[in-house]
This record gives sequence, C-alpha cells and structure tokens, in this order.
Amino acid sequence: MSDAPLAADAGLGAPAGAGKGRGLRPAFQLVPFLEVRQSVSEGYRIAVYAASLTVAALASVALLAFSGVAPADLAREIATVGFGSPRALGSVLAQTAPLAIGGLATAIAFRAGFWNIGLEGQMILGAIFAAFVAIHDVGPESLRIVLMALAACAGGMLWIAGPGFLKQRLGVNEVISTLLLNYVAFNLLLHLLYGPWKDPVSAFPHTQQFETFERLAPLGWQNLTLALPLAIAAVLVAWWALSFSRFGYLVDLMRANREMARAVGVPVVALSTVAILASGAVGGLAGFAIAAGIEFRTTQNFFVGYLFSGVLIAFIARNHPLGVLFVSFAMAVLLLLGQSLQVFFGIPAALVQLVQAIFILCVAASEFFLTYRMHWRSAS
Amino acid sequence: MTEFLFNWVAIVPSFAVPFALAALGLIICEQAGVLSLGAEGFMLVGALAGVGLMIGGASPEAALAGAALAGAGLGLVFAFLAASLRINHVIAGLALVFSAQALTSYVATSQKWTNKAIGGLQPVFLGQDIVAFATPVLFLAVVWVLYRTRAGLALRAVGQNPAAADAAGIDVTTVRILAVVAGAALIGLAGGYLTLAVTRIWVDNVVGGRGWIAIALVIFARWHPWRALAGAVLFGCIEALIPRLAAAGVDVPRYLLLMTPYLVTLLVMVWTAARLRDRSAQPAALGIHHIREERT
Repeated sequence: MSDAPLAADAGLGAPAGAGKGRGLRPAFQLVPFLEVRQSVSEGYRIAVYAASLTVAALASVALLAFSGVAPADLAREIATVGFGSPRALGSVLAQTAPLAIGGLATAIAFRAGFWNIGLEGQMILGAIFAAFVAIHDVGPESLRIVLMALAACAGGMLWIAGPGFLKQRLGVNEVISTLLLNYVAFNLLLHLLYGPWKDPVSAFPHTQQFETFERLAPLGWQNLTLALPLAIAAVLVAWWALSFSRFGYLVDLMRANREMARAVGVPVVALSTVAILASGAVGGLAGFAIAAGIEFRTTQNFFVGYLFSGVLIAFIARNHPLGVLFVSFAMAVLLLLGQSLQVFFGIPAALVQLVQAIFILCVAASEFFLTYRMHWRSAS
Repeated sequence: MTEFLFNWVAIVPSFAVPFALAALGLIICEQAGVLSLGAEGFMLVGALAGVGLMIGGASPEAALAGAALAGAGLGLVFAFLAASLRINHVIAGLALVFSAQALTSYVATSQKWTNKAIGGLQPVFLGQDIVAFATPVLFLAVVWVLYRTRAGLALRAVGQNPAAADAAGIDVTTVRILAVVAGAALIGLAGGYLTLAVTRIWVDNVVGGRGWIAIALVIFARWHPWRALAGAVLFGCIEALIPRLAAAGVDVPRYLLLMTPYLVTLLVMVWTAARLRDRSAQPAALGIHHIREERT
C-alpha cells in the first residue's frame, strides 16, 4: 500500500485533528494512522515474536523480583530445577510429555481455525475411558495399555464431536460449547470418583491404582515412562501431517480463506471434521498420558491448568507441532520452578499462572505489530 | 410442595441477578461490535473486589461499587487490546479470562481472602436485597439509552456498520472503548453480587462458568435486553432448583445435578442456532475491526 490513500485520509481529518478544520492538521498525532501490512517478512515476524517474548520474560522477572525472588536467585533456581541434576531433568521431561500432547491437541484445532477451549474436558473423558478399560479388565493383559490409549482417544473425540458438529452444521460458537463441556466432564468425573469408582483400598476419591501392565512402561532412566516417547511420536506424526502432507496444505489453505478453499473444491467440512476429531483424540491421549504414565490412576484434579497451558503453548509455538514440543519443555520448567519457589520462597502457586498470563497477553498484543504499520505523522 | 415452591421462588432472584447483569453488560459491549468472551474474567475480578472490600471493612454497597470499578478497570485493558490494538476478539477475550483467573487467584492467596465468610447484602423487602430491585431499573435505563438516545444510536451504528458510523462522524474506537468499559462495569457488578449475595465467600474460580453462560444467554436473547432478562430468570430458576432439590431430600446424584446449568446452556444454544439460522439479530460487525484507512 502506498502513501497516497493515507494522504487522502489525512485530509478527511485524523482523530486528533477531527473537527478542527483542515488548516489545523497536526504534524504529530496522539492516535496513529494504521496501515494494514500487505505482507510481513520472515525477519520482521521473528523480530516481533522475539520482542514480545522478551518483554513478557522481563515483566515476569520484574513481577518475581517484586514478590521477593531476586533475579540472581531466580536464575539459580531455573538452573537447578531445569538442569541441576539428572533427577531434575527427568522431572522436567516427565512433565513435558502431557504438556506437549495437550498443547498439540490445542494447536491442531487452532491450526484448522477451530477454537478448541475444551482441552480439560477432553483430557477428563480420555482418562475416564482409559480408567474404564483398566477397572473393568477389558481385553487381554498384554494389549490392555493399547486399549486404554485407544479408549482415551475415543473419549476425547466423543467430547469434541458435539461442538464440532454444532459448529459446522448450525454455526454454534465452539469457544462456548467446548468450554461448557469442561464443566460437564468435571462433574461427570466427580460423580464417578465419589461414587462407583472410589478407590476400594483407601476410600479416597480417585480410582484404584492401575496394575503394572495398565501403566506406560518405565524407560529405565529417572522416573520417565513411555509417555515421553508417545508425546514425541504424536508431535512427529502431527508435524508430518500438518507440514508435509497434502492434508496439512489444505488445512492451511482452508484457514487462510475458507470460502476460497470451498470454491476451488477443497472438502472443507470433511477436512475440518478430521482436524477437529484429531484434536479431541490427542486431547484424550493427554489425559491418558497423565493417568497411565504419571499418576497410575485417574484422580480428580490431574487436568487442572492444562487448558491455560495448552492454549499458551499453542500460541507461543504458533501452532507448529515441533514448536509445541520445545515450548512444552519450557513450560514444564516453569511449572516445576513454580513448585520450587512455592516451597523455598513462599510464593503463591498462582504466580505461575500470572507469569503465563503475562506471556499470553504479550503474545496476543504482538499480533498488532504483525498486522498493522503505524504512522505517527500525517502523510501530507 | 407449596413450601418447596415458595422456597424455590424466594431464592430465584439472587441466582438470576448475576446472569441478568452480566448479560446486560455483554449486550452493551456486543451491540457496539466487540465480541466479549472475557465476561468470565470481568465477573472474577468483580467477585474478588467485592470480597476484598468486605473483608477490608467496607459496606456492601461500597463493595458492589468497587466490584463494578474493578470490572471497568479490566474492561479498559480488554478495550485496549480489542478496540485500540484491534487484536482478534477471541484471542483477546481468552487472554483476558486466563489473566483474570491468574490475577484473582494470586491476589486472593497473597491477601488470604480465600474461604473467608463475609457478611454481604441484606434483604430489604420481600426477602430480596436492593440489587434485585435495582436490576430491572438498570435494564430500563440501558434499554432507554440504547434505543432512545443519540448515544445509543451511535453505539448500535458502530456495531452494525462501523464504516458508515465513521463517515457520519462517530469516533468508532472511542465508542467501542466506552461500551466495553461500561459493559465490563456491569459484568463486574454481576460478579460482585455473586460473592456478596449468593456465595458469600471467595474460592478460586468462584464464578464457575457463569460468565460463559451469560454469553450464551445473550445469543439466545438475540442481543436484546428484555429477552436476556427473561433468559436470566430462566437460568436463575434452574440454578436455584439445585440447592432446593438437595434440601428437599430428592435423591438425584449430586454431581449429575450440578451439570444441568451447563447442559441446559448448550441445549439453549443449539435451539437458538437451529431456529435462527440466518443470525440476523447479531450485530453485523460483531468481532470485526474497523480500520479507517482500509477501504472495502
């Protein structure tokens, strides 16, 4: 876009100069003119992105300093929690697995233009379905864990199928429908855990402990289980599907311009359906990864915080599967850092959420700099 | 049975008012074209501000005013993101809800406001508090402003066709910012009422999805205040039924009962969507940015 239309618009009265007559046009105005960027270079995109993350990081450090954690202490804590010992690294990697799967579920849906805000509900259904297979001894023991994983995927798909169908057929806003189903799923989980599925051994509101063959096998290093390879495999499959396959190309085309895609013969409904169901299935798998890979039972709060983390991971990773994996690692460090700061500095657990909020606001705000160019001086 | 009905009807207003006020605030925002998915967040900060002020020794009325102010303050942040920076309204709304959850949880924990019983609003007449009586008046006022004044016309014009409104000399961004702040104040008030009159306690995420239900309610009401009020009363009835059924000793599994508000909301959304496929009642420019320099 050249400056010509801007010059014309400036003559029509900028907000700051409105109503003052043409002669009093200021050389510098309070509210800038906005020009929509027609194309954004890769370098600029990366610069804006890096700047937004830097601002968020600096704000977080300032917030922590204000709460009583000096930057030097913070740096030491991060080093200790993240990489201080094999054990610390093992904990971070173990935490990375469910975060990556959950972030991936969110990213797949976002990439297809479907605002899946129901990750927690899908995780709960996944964990419920997996627990059902374990509790009722479905199938042979050798195949049990596979059946649990498949059941979890089915549970997640079931939970997203409704919102997906309603969105495509009736245009029902999926943000609201997926979110409301989180509450339904949570109450269903409580109903089961306080009722028929209460642990017969301890009478606590969580399921009985899964048998050894109902757990994801340990990797033999620290406390890592097959959950991590499962997460990496899911990420790699999604990476291939979204970045190298025809499917991924069509999904990107559809998100860029759904009407145009439909007009040139892309089966947008079928494509959306596959992407939405895949997102739900992966969401269910995230619940399975925690139940069968970390807690070895289905508890009543295993999913808490994953919706927020999942959306943030997908945002920062710009819905790219490989990015999801790396951001999930950083997120795992942050979560464990929060636990450590809670113990050693008496920082409220919600501070981690606050840091996440700072990041989500900064990344959201960075969209402005990618979409518009500001002009502070009138163009004439 | 009569006693059950009486007890039920008596508590309906206090359950309906949060939905009604939140829906009214949302209608103001959305009639100006700003899709406000942040309602849950505005309610949360309002709810916490109310509790905090009560614990700090303020009167319930002052606490409610503080709740509205807190909502308006967060509304200003949202307005900056959605109307000034013109960020995708869905992203801005989600970021706002998450931030509000984090912020309220952090403040409540560090100030030790969690799980502390507070006094709250007292009944003034017929067992109802002052806000229950003020709510219909607020609706009247908003309807009058929206449909009978120049300011209301400007607001609706911005929501229907920002380019035409701009050409008519209306400052689109300013109108949207003001609408969001006013709406967020009402939604914050709804949150404050929730903690001051209904729960009388703060726990994290005390709003429990009511903000999202209010959004669905506004769609159901096709962005009109009176229909939203009717919907809020309907939801108030449903929510009020849950504790009454439990108190009456009806043997329904507790957690399945607690699902009903969310399931009913979904049903209402489906019903609304199936009946009104053309969505003609939705503000035409809902969620659409206006950039003066872009000619379309």
